[in-house]
Amino acid sequence: MKKTLQALLALRPKKKLNGEYLLSLGASILAALLVGAVIMLVSGHNPLEGYRAMLHGALGTQRNLGNTLAKSMTLCLTALAMAVAARAGIFNVGGEGQLYLGAIASALVGAALSGMTPWLVVPLCLLAAAAAGGLYAFVPAWLKVRLKVNEVITTIMLNSAAIYFCTFLANGPFKTDERGIASGTAQLDAEFMFPKLIKLSNLTSAIFIAAVLALLVWYVMQRTSVGFELKLTGQNPRFASYMGIKTGRLALVSMVVSGAICGLCGMFEVFGLHKRFVETVSSEFYFDGMLVAMIMRYDPLGIVLMSLFFGVLKIGAMGMETVGIPSETILIVESIIIFFMAAESGISRALREKRARRRARRQSEIMLEKGAGA
Amino acid sequence: MSDILNLGLLQNTLRTATPVILAALGVLMTDHVGIMNIGMDGMMLTSAFFAVVGSYYLGSWVGGVAAALIAGLLLGIFFAVFVIKFRSDEFIIGVALNIFAGGLTVFLLRSMFGVKGAFSSPDIVGLPTFSMPWLEKIPVIGPLLNENTLLVYVSWLLVALCWALIYRTPWGFWLRAAGEHPESLRSAGISPEKMKYEASLLCGVFAGLAGAHLSLGYLTMFTENMSASRGFIAVACVIFGASNPPRVFAAALLFGFIDALGMRLQSVGFNSNLTSMAPYVVTVVMMVLVVLRANHRKKKLARA
Repeated sequence: MKKTLQALLALRPKKKLNGEYLLSLGASILAALLVGAVIMLVSGHNPLEGYRAMLHGALGTQRNLGNTLAKSMTLCLTALAMAVAARAGIFNVGGEGQLYLGAIASALVGAALSGMTPWLVVPLCLLAAAAAGGLYAFVPAWLKVRLKVNEVITTIMLNSAAIYFCTFLANGPFKTDERGIASGTAQLDAEFMFPKLIKLSNLTSAIFIAAVLALLVWYVMQRTSVGFELKLTGQNPRFASYMGIKTGRLALVSMVVSGAICGLCGMFEVFGLHKRFVETVSSEFYFDGMLVAMIMRYDPLGIVLMSLFFGVLKIGAMGMETVGIPSETILIVESIIIFFMAAESGISRALREKRARRRARRQSEIMLEKGAGA
Repeated sequence: MSDILNLGLLQNTLRTATPVILAALGVLMTDHVGIMNIGMDGMMLTSAFFAVVGSYYLGSWVGGVAAALIAGLLLGIFFAVFVIKFRSDEFIIGVALNIFAGGLTVFLLRSMFGVKGAFSSPDIVGLPTFSMPWLEKIPVIGPLLNENTLLVYVSWLLVALCWALIYRTPWGFWLRAAGEHPESLRSAGISPEKMKYEASLLCGVFAGLAGAHLSLGYLTMFTENMSASRGFIAVACVIFGASNPPRVFAAALLFGFIDALGMRLQSVGFNSNLTSMAPYVVTVVMMVLVVLRANHRKKKLARA
């Protein structure tokens, strides 16, 4: 028993969120914002004005604040979806496709049950979205666990396939009869929609479901034995299976949960904003979430905080458009943060080595001086 | 039937396969040293943009290809520094590189040309096409081999060259050793890191060529996200072909054929969204087949 305990202790995550990490995270964000400022300067804009417009666009009015919170919700859920799978050592890059399928499944179920009580329809739609996303994630997960087919490639391929498939459905067999709607499924009853919490913003009561979901994910990942088994499986699958953990099944389940969360994200977009499935239901939302998850090293609490920050960046980017700065500037800033953070351990190691070498040199100099003095 | 299966289909196969072939050659270089380059898609996209920039401002296709090569090379160095020097997760860097490329190209598209979505202009000079008159007399092969752009022929040459380089030269031996037995290579006095850097640089060069063909090959324009996951399909081709250039070439041709067939079916009335799904679905099927085939072979060996 003692031996296993020692082995477990040795397995403690090598990369953890600690003070040093948070320090370099702050430095990375600052550096990335500086790079963003330089980009603005070079393209002939005033960076101070740009960042002021960003802050105003994200937090300036109640409506903007609501949009930022809604964006953070999507970011947080997609990031948690990524984290759940990544903890078990399986990379779900296919969240975008799972989101699309969840969106269209819930939109179709909702449209088919038009006229019934929302207390029945909305839960059914939630279920449909989760099932569609989960099932679609099951395919690459099964291929990975059973046949060891690289899940990164298959999930990326399944993204494009799902998006084209949903577009086909929304333009073909399930296209609405309404006039003036070029593409999209039938409109949902107004009673089905999540009520808006702030007028004219995208913030709806879906955020409460999202919060419960996030809490649940955090609890399972950090406070239960399943979460611990998940972590073990991700860090050292061989050791985990020696410990009697059914690693394959765990990876499958975590991937399905990940897909289900993505499906729910799609449902929230449809029932919060679009009132129907439209092709533009997401614009690479999942990839933004992936960035958040990877920056925070799949730590649930960190993800929640980081998605608030990324929400400000994302919605603020729209505000920057009002002073003529392309919103893509923020996309560049975001990717620079992740470049820095991915290189963080490498850079800090290089710095440490340099410091150690300097210390060694100084010590040898002192020794030499002493030797010369004697 | 003859509307679908005709010479045009084969010609389109070559056209759509070429950027994938070039990208796959880049991916297989890094694959041999044990780095999986998920960022190829972004590298291609950025190079495609700079190919248009070079061609537009310098007024020649040579300028375009040169600009694409420089862009690809710089991204290759960038990728190498992060993955090899800072030992970052190649997967994270790859994903970030793709997002970075998406943002950068749209940003530059808007701030340099003032357009959104796509940029085309009569001032963009495309790649020249070549014809050999003596080939025209041969049916099927003649028209198939003629009238292609320069990079199509270059890609064929490069497949042969890469194969020779990897399997028939000491450099190729070191390259493979850097991925499989880095410590043995080190004890033989050759730095595996150096081999990894060289592979990444070559990967960047190939990404540049792939990008140049994407935007200057047949369309002579740049559109947002025009790589359309071709970089990922290239990675799948590399896995499918076990990093062996001729086999990877065959996989890329297969992909090109499916893509071209989809476009063909579209022109006779099939739903374009469904036909667009085909290359992606086929890629997944290809990935599964590789594993099944390997398992089958293993079983056969065990029985023997």
